[in-house]
Amino acid sequence: MASQIKKPFISEPVLTVSTPPHWHCGRSVSGLMMETILALLPVALLAIMQFGIEAARVVALSCVVAVVTEAICLKITGRDVSIDDYSSLLTGLLFAFLLPASAPWWLVIVGSSLSIILGRILFGGPGASPLCAPLVAWAVCRISWKYLMDMDLSMLNTEFLYPLSQLKLYGPEAVSGFNYLDLFLGKQIGGLGAVQVSGVLLGGIYLIVRKHIRPHIPLAFLAGVFMTASIYFLIDDTRYANPFFHLLTGSVIFGAFFLATDSASSPVGHIPMILFGLIGGIFVIIIRVYSVYPDGVPFAILIANLLTPILDKIRPKPFKTK
Amino acid sequence: MNRMWKEFSKGLWLELPPFRLLLGLCPVLAVTKTAYNGFGMGCAVIFVLTLSNLIISLVRKIIPPKVRIVCFIVITASLVVTVELLMQAFTYPLYQELGIFVPLIVVNCLILGRAEAFASRNPVHLSVADALGMGFGFTLSLTFLGGIREIFGYGTFFGRPFMWAEFKPFTFMVEAPGAFICLAMCLAAMNFITTWQSKRF
Repeated sequence: MASQIKKPFISEPVLTVSTPPHWHCGRSVSGLMMETILALLPVALLAIMQFGIEAARVVALSCVVAVVTEAICLKITGRDVSIDDYSSLLTGLLFAFLLPASAPWWLVIVGSSLSIILGRILFGGPGASPLCAPLVAWAVCRISWKYLMDMDLSMLNTEFLYPLSQLKLYGPEAVSGFNYLDLFLGKQIGGLGAVQVSGVLLGGIYLIVRKHIRPHIPLAFLAGVFMTASIYFLIDDTRYANPFFHLLTGSVIFGAFFLATDSASSPVGHIPMILFGLIGGIFVIIIRVYSVYPDGVPFAILIANLLTPILDKIRPKPFKTK
Repeated sequence: MNRMWKEFSKGLWLELPPFRLLLGLCPVLAVTKTAYNGFGMGCAVIFVLTLSNLIISLVRKIIPPKVRIVCFIVITASLVVTVELLMQAFTYPLYQELGIFVPLIVVNCLILGRAEAFASRNPVHLSVADALGMGFGFTLSLTFLGGIREIFGYGTFFGRPFMWAEFKPFTFMVEAPGAFICLAMCLAAMNFITTWQSKRF
């Protein structure tokens, strides 16, 4: 907080006293968030093209509720109302992308406000969340309203199938009919933005090229998914699905590039980031194979988030020490 | 009489067991799925706590200090067995609902804590007043917490429909994480009220 020393009777500040650093490269939180939202825009467009106006309704409602909730909570707790850094908008957008397009309005409102309250405000506001905020709200909604969050039951009127529940219920032969190119182009149901694999990949690569996220976490996450799925596939290819199928379905790509890289809840440092990604990726396949949840990505990333403080203890050696 | 009222009333707000002393949190988190369960658990605790405080206070001069904890546990355990048998006989559905948490009253921190901190060094009438106050405070807290969780988690209150007809139950509240979040909210509210009061006066 820069405090200003004023001479009496002169309105302009003479000196501005603030803590270092004083030399910035021009990068700011709002710029970072804005570019992440920009990277997600093609995903939103693809989702609206595929699911129609329903997707636009969910996305818009979630974003508005997130920003309004953040403003109200910050006002109540007496902190700076810093909603103009777009971080709450991004949280709302990411949460909307995990929902089915048919989510009722009250679920979107409750979930989006919970992602702000439980995910961010209770743990100390923006930048202090120990867990990825949209995923907290997703988990609460998934536990509370199973049938409304279930992709199969809530999206009966589309021509596409939910590949992961097909795999869970009927085994890998049932999913051998899926064309990988179709899956890549988003011809599947799931979280409304998360399944637009092509758009998500494009946005993720844009963020890596612009150096807003390090490539370590996404690549390690995808490698973890791919390796674990390959191990299962090599053990018994009649019971477990192809690793490429696992990479292209559900929210694996979305989680790898946008959820696991959430800056407050992921570790810093090269080795911790790689370990973080690998743990998340391995848990995705373990949850998909053994649990009742068809898509393991949100829970896997939450588990990895819980390990972040431990992973952060792996530090680089100080210079010139043994 | 004045002293007795003071010992009784402190358990109702100033030293409210789960929300101020943070004692006996295991049943607070585990059995408050419904208001009825919380109320039943609270009644069992009132029974055990009052009688154990009474007995311990009566025999406090006889118990050798070195083995006092063991003696407290023996007294509490026999009372808990009594309450368990009584619940099996008269309120069997509630007994089934509470399950393992009835026998676990033996190691409830609240009961041992009151025995150690109060009953073993105070006369009988004060100990009973203290136990009744703590017990009522515990019961009210459990019923309150159970009521909140039941209203949101099932849409009912003491088994009767409470919310509007199209209400979709917020099942998260009756799961384990909901218990923690609910308790944390209650503690935050208590802290908020305390600071607000201290500012006002």
